This record gives sequence, C-alpha cells and structure tokens, in this order.
Amino acid sequence: MKVSYSSDEERFREEVRKWFEDNTPPDVKDQTLGGSTLEHGLMFKWHKTLYEKGWISPEFPKELGGAGLSETEQFIFNYEYSHCGAPRLKTKLVSLGMLAPLLLQHGTKEQQDRFIPDMLSGKTIWCQGFSEPNAGSDLASLNLKAVLEGDHFVLNGQKTWTSMADHADWIFLLVRTDSSGKKQEGISFLLADLKTPGITIRPIEALTDHAPFCEVFFDDVLVPKENLVGKMGEGWKLAGALLQHERLNAFPVGELIYAIETVRKNSAKTIYRGKPLIQDPVFRRKLAALEVDCNSLLYTFFRILSQLKVGSAPGPEASFLKVYGSELYRRVMDLNIEALGPYGQSWYNLEEFDNSIHQATMGWINSTSLTIWGGSSEIQRTVIATQVLKLPRK
Amino acid sequence: MDFQLSSEHLSLKESVASFVKKDHSFDRLRDLRNDPLGYSKEVWKKMAELGWMGLIYPEEYGGLELDFAFVMVLLEEFGRGLLPEPWISNVLLGGNLVLMGGSESQKHEVLPGVVSGDLMVTAAYLENDGRYDIDFCATSAEQRGDAYFISGKKIFVLDGLSADRFVVTTRTSGSVADRNGITLFMVSSQDDGVKLTPLKTMDGRNACILELKDVSVPGSNVIGEVGRGYPLLSEAIDQATAGLCAEMVGGMHASIDLTVAYLSERTQFGKPIGAFQTPQHKAADLFIQKELALSSVYYAIASIDEKTDERTLAVSIAKAKCSSAYMEITKAAIQLFGGIGFTNEGDIGFFLKRAKVSEILFGDTDYHLDRYTRLSGY
Ligand SMILES: Cc1cc2nc3c(=O)[nH]c(=O)nc-3n(C[C@H](O)[C@H](O)[C@H](O)COP(=O)(O)OP(=O)(O)OC[C@H]3O[C@@H](n4cnc5c(N)ncnc54)[C@H](O)[C@@H]3O)c2cc1C
Ligand SMILES: Cc1cc2nc3c(=O)[nH]c(=O)nc-3n(C[C@H](O)[C@H](O)[C@H](O)COP(=O)(O)OP(=O)(O)OC[C@H]3O[C@@H](n4cnc5c(N)ncnc54)[C@H](O)[C@@H]3O)c2cc1C
Repeated sequence: MKVSYSSDEERFREEVRKWFEDNTPPDVKDQTLGGSTLEHGLMFKWHKTLYEKGWISPEFPKELGGAGLSETEQFIFNYEYSHCGAPRLKTKLVSLGMLAPLLLQHGTKEQQDRFIPDMLSGKTIWCQGFSEPNAGSDLASLNLKAVLEGDHFVLNGQKTWTSMADHADWIFLLVRTDSSGKKQEGISFLLADLKTPGITIRPIEALTDHAPFCEVFFDDVLVPKENLVGKMGEGWKLAGALLQHERLNAFPVGELIYAIETVRKNSAKTIYRGKPLIQDPVFRRKLAALEVDCNSLLYTFFRILSQLKVGSAPGPEASFLKVYGSELYRRVMDLNIEALGPYGQSWYNLEEFDNSIHQATMGWINSTSLTIWGGSSEIQRTVIATQVLKLPRK
Repeated sequence: MDFQLSSEHLSLKESVASFVKKDHSFDRLRDLRNDPLGYSKEVWKKMAELGWMGLIYPEEYGGLELDFAFVMVLLEEFGRGLLPEPWISNVLLGGNLVLMGGSESQKHEVLPGVVSGDLMVTAAYLENDGRYDIDFCATSAEQRGDAYFISGKKIFVLDGLSADRFVVTTRTSGSVADRNGITLFMVSSQDDGVKLTPLKTMDGRNACILELKDVSVPGSNVIGEVGRGYPLLSEAIDQATAGLCAEMVGGMHASIDLTVAYLSERTQFGKPIGAFQTPQHKAADLFIQKELALSSVYYAIASIDEKTDERTLAVSIAKAKCSSAYMEITKAAIQLFGGIGFTNEGDIGFFLKRAKVSEILFGDTDYHLDRYTRLSGY
C-alpha cells in the first residue's frame, strides 16, 4: 500500500501541470465551472493547441496520434487538465471519447482511417444522436427509421437533445432498422454527414440561455451503406460498449476537486462582518463535510486505478462513480453559490463583476443537468441494486 | 500510488474470517450483554495465541512486525462479526503508547505481556466538560520528591474495567486546554487511590470511570517526556481511529449483506420487497456510502503506514466519513428490516448499536470536521 505516486508518475504530473500552467490561455482558464458556456471559437482554438502538443487524446497509442499513456498517467493528465481550470472539451467528448474507441474495436479499417485523424485534428466535429422525444432513459424505444434501399439507408424521424449539433459536421446515430422482434434487436449504428439534404437542425435554449443541444429532424435522408458500424441489428450492443467505455471516465473527478477548491478560495475571499466567510463556524463545517466527501471520491478513483493496474476492470459497480460524483458536484455548486450571498443571484453581469461570479451561477445552473444525462441517477441506482447487489427485478 | 493488498494481507484476512466464523456468533453477543466485561477471556487468549496482539510490534517484544495494512485487514474482519474483544484499546492505545514513547525497560516490562494477552493496558484521557478533545486535561500530577501525585477523573475509559494498567493523561503545567504541559503516566488499577466505576456502552462492551485521588507514582512511570505527552497521545489515537474506521467498514459490509439478503427473501404484496424500487434505491445508496468510506480508510491506513505528513488529516477524513456512513447504513437497515429490525431476536440491531458507539469513540463526525478545518488552515 502506498499513497504517493511513483517518482516517474510524479515527474509526469509535474510536467503536465507546468505545461498547462504556461500554455492555457487566460480566456480559457477558469472556465471549468461554467461548463458548456465557453465560446466555440475559443474551444476550437484550444483543441488545436492541444492537438499540436500531441495531447488531444493522450490515452491513445502513439501510432494513432496519442501519447500512449498508462491508466494512471491518463488519470493524472485528466486531473491536471481540469485542475488548471480548463473546461471540458466538447469538441472531443463524444468523438475521441466515445466514437473513436468504438470504431477501433468494431469499425472497418476504412472507417478508422477516414474518421479518426480528423477527430484528432478537430477538422471534424461529431455529435451523438441517441435520444429521441419518446426514447430517453428507455433508449431502446427509439424510432428513427432507417430502410435499406440499394446502396443507401433512407432515414425518417427525429433525434433530440443532441449536444453541439448546430456546430458539428457529423452525427453518429442509433436507428431502427427492424421493428418486428424485440425492440433491442432491431437497432443499428450509423454515421451521417450533417450536410446531407433532408436534415434540419433546431437549437434548443437551455436554462443557461445558451443552446447547448438541438433537435435534429430527418426527412428522406440518404446515408451510404458503408456508414453502417458493425452489422445490421448490432446497434444496441455497440451502444452498450460505447457507454461502457464512457462509464469510468463518466465523471471527471479533477473537475470536482477544482470546484471544491474554488469554493474554498471564494469563501476565504468573501468578507462577512469583517471576517472571512470561511471562518464562520456553520459555513466551514459545511465546506469541510463536502471536502471529506470529495476526498473520499478521489480516493475511490485511486482504489479503482490500483485495480486496473493489475488488470481487473471494474464492472457495473463503477456506475456509482457517476451517480455519486454528479450529485456531489451539485452539492458543491450549491455551496459555491451560497458563499456569494447576494451575488449568488447574478446573471450575465460579466462587465460589472469578475468571472468567478459568472462561473458560479452558470455552473450551478449547469450542474442540474448532470444527474439527467449519461444515465440518470434513478436509472443508475436501479443498475447498482439489480446488477451489483443482485436484488430481484420482480 | 497503490491500494492493492498483498497475498500475505489476503491470507491474514482469510484466517481472521474463519476464526470469526468458528469462534464467534451473534448469540455470543447476546450472552455477553449480561457479562460485566462484555467479552470472553478464552477468545482473547486464542487471539493472542494466533499472534494477533503482536501484529505490528517489533519482534524483540514478541511481535510479528507487520505493516499497518494488516491492522486494516484484521479489524475489517473483526468488524464484520462485531467481535467485542478489546484489541484496539490494548494494541493501538495502551501498548502503542508504551511502544512509541516508553523507555526500553518500560517496553520490556509491558509489551510482551500485551502480546501474550496476559497484561491489559488501555488509555485514560477523556474528561468531563471536554467532550472529545484529547488536549482537555484537568487531572493534575504534582511532583513531590521523586514521586508524582495524581488527582482527577477520567470518563468512558475504553475497556477500562478489564485493564491492569492505564496510560493516564495528566497536567503538569499550563492551563486546562493547553497542548503543552500534558504528561503521560502509567498507573496500575491496584494503586492506592484508584477507583473504578463500571460503565456499559450501548453495544454491550465495558468502559469505566477512573477516579484518581492523590495516587502516588514514581517518576520512572512517566511515558515519554514530562509535558510532552500530547503528540504521543495524538499519534496513538490517530492510529486507533484509523483501525476503528477499518472495523466500521467491516460492519458496513456485513450490515449491507444482511440487508440485501433480507430484502431478497422477505415477501410482501406477492413479491420480494427487494423488487420494489424504493428499497432498491435505498440499498444502492448504502452501497455507495460503504464504497466511499472504504476508500477513505485505505487512504488513512496507507498514510499512516507511509508516515506522510497528511496522515492526521487523512484520519479525520476517514473518521468523519465512516461515522456518517455507518450511521446512515445501519439506520436504513433497521428501517428496511421492518419490525424484526427493532428486536434483539434479529441480528441487524447489533450493528446499529455498534455504529453509534463507534461514531462517538475518538470523536464524532462534527468533531473530525472541525479538526479537519483546523488542520487545513481554514
Ligand atoms: C445537457 C444535456 C445534454 C444532452 N446531450 C445529449 C446528446 O448529445 N445526445 C443524446 O443522444 N442525448 C443527449 N441528452 C439526453 C439525455 O441522454 C436524456 O435526457 C436522458 O437519457 C434522460 O432522458 P429524458 O430526458 O427523456 O428523461 P426521461 O427518461 O423521460 O426521465 C424523466 C425522469 O424519470 C426518471 N425515470 C425514467 N425511467 C425511470 C425508471 N424506470 N425508474 C425510475 N425513474 C425513471 C428519470 O430518472 C428522470 O428523472 C442530453 C441531455 C442533457 C440534459
Ligand atoms: C414497536 C412496534 C410495535 C408494534 N406494535 C404492533 C401492534 O401492537 N399490533 C400489530 O398488529 N402490529 C404491531 N407492530 C407491527 C407493525 O405494524 C409492522 O412492523 C409494520 O406493519 C411493518 O411490517 P413488517 O415489520 O412486516 O415489515 P415489512 O412489511 O416486511 O417491510 C419491511 C420493509 O420493506 C418496506 N416495504 C414493504 N413493502 C413495500 C412496498 N410495496 N414498497 C416499498 N417498500 C416496501 C417497508 O417500508 C419496510 O421498510 C409493531 C411494530 C413495532 C416496530
């Protein structure tokens, strides 16, 4: 048993930390909490900087444009990335984070060569078309129809909540190719160019007053046959594999630690009746309780990393990282806004006040969606109860 | 960074688990409720024969000289079965204080006895009006000639009723809550002026009130240096707290196992109650709390083992987390058992009571949160 990193790992950590400290542009820094509100131009520029450094997907093997990091190094990297205040990169989240690993496992050589390099460079931005108006948690009820006619699938129907669709070039889709059998069996996985005629995109304004996601309508849209990933009817299985990959990374603990440290800093700066708020006996106990929970979650990641080192991959029990992490993050955001007192109601007063207030209110609003997407808290609790604890399903 | 247990750790885990299964049962706990000591001397003797009292002590005192992760493994298994034997107080408090601060002759006099299970040593440091603070000490030790005369009163001395010796905190200088000026003395239960009043804790184990009236002890009974007892006490209590946390996690595992088994077999409304979503989601929450508590214990234990500067902070994180998690888990477990959960016929209630006692022992959640804020320099 050892709590400290090895000297190699520590050296790597220092290298990453230093690089981010020196190279994160001021307008990108301290944007972690605000979440999806970083302006797109800045986001693309930041993507390019990381790409040129070779750090856009450092977890990939070197021959694929990554840095070939081990699990622990990847953890250190992600942690230091968030810890410098850099925001989650939406330009890689679903492409390099989800689709690329899936293509590497289940795609054809042509698909890999055609799509992955442009994901890395940022030339092609992807979005994820899974959810539909009548298929949210119950994703298998999806009903975007795809009928194979000659060399093309013909698509009719709708996706919704598609993040970044209005800024993306391509979309990966779960479509219904068969309605005769079990609903999970008639689903296929397709890749579509968003410029294809018949696709209409309508942004949806979120509580942040931004439009982070869109409705995407398909009206006789032709998608070439070679854009099918895996076999016909394998879509559900592939989606499972993709979400499985996401699960360990589903909760970026570095962001949580950044957030709680921000609360600590903000409450040390905030003066209440001549004394820092952090010295208020009630406030500091609340903060300490959250720090204890944040640290316990961080140590849980250490524990899982130790298991990965000896090759035992966590199964469904890792789903608690997402439930607990997202709920804890919401509590941290609650306290962050509480620390602001009257300023906690502020909305887009960027000129008047400093960025940290904007980040706090935006982050607070944004945090309310964390427990909905990527498997809602309710769904994940049922997964833990039935798959980990093996409680009866009926 | 590595939280893996070695095969030696795992083999200890196995032997302790099989010992708990063979030599212990909830019915034994039911019987021991009426025993003033609340544990069995035969079981204690067997544990000593297995070498477990000497787990982390140097070989020269008869110990096995193993690393601190073995403490975690041992206590987690004790915690699963709720073993009532006074391992923590003897090995991590009383004996440990002698090991850390005692002179060679004190160590040779005390430690082999602790290792063989024949000499019972605990620590007496809590006082009225000090709540959980270990630096709150009004008990006085006055030097007259070669001897010190100790007067004062200690409360809830852990396993105090069975102790032959007490390491007692006394004030030799400074005011009541100063960290400097606390001196540790070895006092025997047979010394003139020592009075023990038996206490029971909610979980059926023993404690005592220790009253000292002008108890005369020689200067050679000072453990460590005069006036410098606090750092020793603090270190020993940190280690005991980390050990207690491991025991608590064992209890969490067992409570959840019992509850999940019950939810799966108890039928109402035509199906197992574990098939209803409300109990399912509650059970999921308990699982999550246990996992987090376990991680906090790994971190604390590894920090102690590696002697990092963060270890004190890590212990407060672990104790705050384990106290709240163990309480949440056992309270919910009682609820999920329904009526049988509220009885002494069921086993789950033992865990609720142990959780409450463990929550309080070495400071409750708020105490450790406050300590955490001070250590973090808020
Ligand atoms: C910010 C944001 C970004 C998103 N981005 C994308 C994206 O890029 N691509 C994409 O495909 N989707 C995206 N989504 C959609 C997301 O995946 C869905 O919102 C999610 O799957 C939940 O579906 P729903 O909104 O239809 O809610 P519903 O499934 O209708 O659920 C409503 C409520 O009922 C609960 N509930 C549902 N079923 C059960 C049950 N069996 N037991 C107990 N409770 C239940 C849920 O937990 C929830 O609280 C995004 C969502 C958000 C908020
Ligand atoms: C102190 C005490 C005094 C009592 N006195 C009397 C008395 O004088 N006379 C008398 O007749 N009875 C008495 N009772 C019995 C009491 O009414 C029952 O304990 C109560 O009805 C619960 O039933 P149960 O214990 O069988 O639990 P169960 O019904 O087995 O329930 C166990 C757990 O499962 C949950 N659960 C059950 N069904 C569902 C569901 N559909 N959805 C979600 N959760 C569910 C319950 O909420 C509970 O948490 C007493 C009980 C106690 C504790």
